[in-house]
Amino acid sequence: MRLNPIVKKDIKVQSRSMRICWGVFAYELILALVFFLAMAIIQQESAYSTNNIYSRLVWLYPVLAVTQLIILGVVVPVRTASAISGEKERQTFDIMMTTSMTPFSVIMGKVMTAIVQSMFFVVASMPVMALSFVIGGMSWSYLLWFLAIALLVSLFSASIGIWCSSLCKKSISAVIMSYGLYVAFFLGTMLPYIIYQIAESAAYYNGTVTTVTGYSYGENVCLFWLINPAVYLVEFFVEVMTGESFVSQIPNIGTGTLQTGGPIRYIASGHLWMVLSTVMFVAISILFLWLAARRINPIKKHGAKNKA
Amino acid sequence: MLQINHLYKNYGKFRAVNDLTLHIPQGDLFGFVGPNGAGKTTTIRIVCGLMVPTAGNIMINGVDAMTHQKEIKKQIGYVPDFFGVYDNLKVREYMDFYGSMYRMTSREIAKISDDLLELVNLSDKKEVYVDTLSRGMKQRLCVARALIHNPALLVLDEPNSGLDPRARVEMKELLLNLKSMGKTIVISSHILSELSEMCNSIGIMDHGNLVTAGRIEDVMENVFGSNQLIITLDDGRETAVRIANEYAGVKVNSVGEHEIKLSHTMSKAEIAKMIGTMIANDVVVTGFHKQEGDLETLFMRVTNQEGGQENATQSNC
Repeated sequence: MRLNPIVKKDIKVQSRSMRICWGVFAYELILALVFFLAMAIIQQESAYSTNNIYSRLVWLYPVLAVTQLIILGVVVPVRTASAISGEKERQTFDIMMTTSMTPFSVIMGKVMTAIVQSMFFVVASMPVMALSFVIGGMSWSYLLWFLAIALLVSLFSASIGIWCSSLCKKSISAVIMSYGLYVAFFLGTMLPYIIYQIAESAAYYNGTVTTVTGYSYGENVCLFWLINPAVYLVEFFVEVMTGESFVSQIPNIGTGTLQTGGPIRYIASGHLWMVLSTVMFVAISILFLWLAARRINPIKKHGAKNKA
Repeated sequence: MLQINHLYKNYGKFRAVNDLTLHIPQGDLFGFVGPNGAGKTTTIRIVCGLMVPTAGNIMINGVDAMTHQKEIKKQIGYVPDFFGVYDNLKVREYMDFYGSMYRMTSREIAKISDDLLELVNLSDKKEVYVDTLSRGMKQRLCVARALIHNPALLVLDEPNSGLDPRARVEMKELLLNLKSMGKTIVISSHILSELSEMCNSIGIMDHGNLVTAGRIEDVMENVFGSNQLIITLDDGRETAVRIANEYAGVKVNSVGEHEIKLSHTMSKAEIAKMIGTMIANDVVVTGFHKQEGDLETLFMRVTNQEGGQENATQSNC
């Protein structure tokens, strides 16, 4: 298989700079601090408990994993947000677009570089992560699941960044826009549910409805959470640690049937939420990549207006 | 080689390129001349597939550049006016990177990049970081990069801007070398004296219009009229004027103390015969030469004529 030339070049160029060394150092440092903090809390709690301290070490897994995913979610958009706009600022973009590389190959090259770099960090953290498996007795398969989730988070973050990068001329604008979009995914998808809850409560206090616990199709606004990265991560780790679905434990959602409450009743049960959510994140990522490729293609509009 | 047909480019209501039709034959070194904002860079960017025209089409070796981008990209090497380089990348790696972007194998790249670096006189800089090269070296490296996939057409947009005199001479020599290898080269520049030394054909653009184009001699003749001849002499001025007027197609423009300027449509043999007749009639001819119109005068004359047409280039769309 032929390696994308952009990936090869970017990794070579970036590995020669001190930035990558400082990046790994900062990443490991944060993980070490989180690890020691978590250990201290576990130790303190064990002093008042008869449970074995080692069984509590499994909690290092979600703590360290979530820490890493948050770092990836913050760092990866910055890397890709400056990918295309950086080429434009450096005045190398035009030359790149006159080569045989297709716009999609260019975009994929930049995204792959960001993903490979994020995997450098994740792999570097494996010894620390392994503690919860060796001492805490967790199944090793969860390590693979974590890698898969890290890959998905990297892809999603990178695709947001690269789309913003294709839109903006300046890297700084692209970075700000990426974070704005990221926040929109976190908070924007929560908004319909919050509005629904406020409306429900208002109706209850006004006496329009007598109960707020009944089944309602209105609760299907929670389907927006399928594309909420925070809900996705919480759902994954709650399921791993407790064996239960987080979404189904939200009042009124986990009970009832498709007929009485709409699709949310069905989707929130079992693993279906995770599967659907994963598919949607991959689909959104592909959409962003496609939009970015379309955006940087200089001849995309040909034929649309061929009149002098 | 390159055929541009009725090319238009509008930016909103402003028309940057207006009905540009141009043919550049294989092996030509074509100079694109024009003041700032004339539409040269826009045209070049459209040719290189970096911009969509509002109307018109471009054919390169008979292939439509708009509908066959993949094939066209293999045929064009582009050197922009301003370009950057990557930090922490060596000259050899720079060539590798762009070679692999044309889907060339490592072996192919190694072979051709060695030859190209030698051609641009950078063989000894292979292991040097690109960002440490001088501006002139970077420009030559950019030409080598543009040739990595052996394109039929090399397009250079203001390649000499920002270069010192020595680097300009080196660039000129490089381009002449490439021309002798049979490459078709399109070069835009403000430095007209250099273009006149390098190019065998030119196109002058002004306010989006192609004012004139063709082989330099033909363009000169079209603009300056018939050929100019200057005869210097020590004695026999009246006789010389009388003899010159006896030849058909000769017009004496000015008569100085030791110099006669005339325009003519004669062949070289007829000129020799006329000079011979003068000498036989005791005119002391000390020399004669063809008066060359220079590109700068040509450019000024052509663009001044078109200057009044500025408003005509505004789009009515």
